[in-house]
Amino acid sequence: MKLLQNDYLHLMVRLLIGAIFVYSAVPHILDTMGLALSIYNYRLFPSSIIGISAAVIPWITLLSGLALILGVKTRAASFIISALLVIFISLAVTSIIRGLDIDCGCFTGIVRKADWMAVSEDGIMLVCAVFIFFFDRARFSSISLIKQLVFQRKNYEGAL
Amino acid sequence: MAMMLQKNTNSASGFFNRRPAFSWRLVIKDCLYFMVLAILLGGLLNYSLLLNAFNGALIPRIQQNQLAILKSKAAQLYGISVIDIASSKKLFDDKLAIFVDARTLQEYEAGSISGAISLPARELLRKDIDPSALLPNKETVLITYCDGGDCELALDVATDLAGKGYQNIFIFGEGYPGWAAAGYPVNK
Repeated sequence: MKLLQNDYLHLMVRLLIGAIFVYSAVPHILDTMGLALSIYNYRLFPSSIIGISAAVIPWITLLSGLALILGVKTRAASFIISALLVIFISLAVTSIIRGLDIDCGCFTGIVRKADWMAVSEDGIMLVCAVFIFFFDRARFSSISLIKQLVFQRKNYEGAL
Repeated sequence: MAMMLQKNTNSASGFFNRRPAFSWRLVIKDCLYFMVLAILLGGLLNYSLLLNAFNGALIPRIQQNQLAILKSKAAQLYGISVIDIASSKKLFDDKLAIFVDARTLQEYEAGSISGAISLPARELLRKDIDPSALLPNKETVLITYCDGGDCELALDVATDLAGKGYQNIFIFGEGYPGWAAAGYPVNK
């Protein structure tokens, strides 16, 4: 239990999940059509849902990933990431059940099939996101670093 | 659970490391901010995609892209060509080609192009099936197909057959869903 409240562990997990989501979001933002194609391959959604998802999901992913890296609004960011991962896992499981042999569309340029491997990887990331949510730490966040800098500057000016 | 979250918040040490007390309302509010910002950015930068999505032009565009990808992949392998639905139907009507279903046997039995034979890609690549028993003439025109989309089973079967000396192989990119959607003859 003590380990779960370790600031360094929280920072490490936060940076890892944030970096993975930023890395996944940027190519999708640059190639929205490619993401639309991946979503279409699941053969579950109408045209309007495919369009909205391809336009909006990469930005949600990017903003959440950046928030985790900077340590700003980490609970909201990890909540959104957890919700997205639950959706991704459900999609992968349904495509496995339906026998579809498709790319999961998680990362542009990397072939990653929607199989049990992808489900388990997403599961691990979901555990990490839930950990960030429940064991949120303020230390090492950009806000606390800024506060410290401002405080030190005020002290320095006071001493002068 | 709320107590655990509260405890974690309070346990943050030092003046600089304080976080506001946990509340679901705050989390939901922050999530909404993220969503609104993402919708604005995504909507503004992809308005043409959204327009296409709402006027029904997106899916035909996606299908064209998929066919283009399949064509380029097929062209790199033994010069195999991708055949369109109109030409496939012509060969079907004139009985000049044999359709080869690359999907699993279960999928083939659930619905396939009329008169197609089943050569599941996985079994063929594992060498569990000998195609020469079903297709003795290596000059027969063969059209492989699977589920359309980015399904590559038809490509795998076509590549394997080309490697075994079959000379006239085409890939039908739209696959069984495209054939059935066009209302052409199927076995069910």
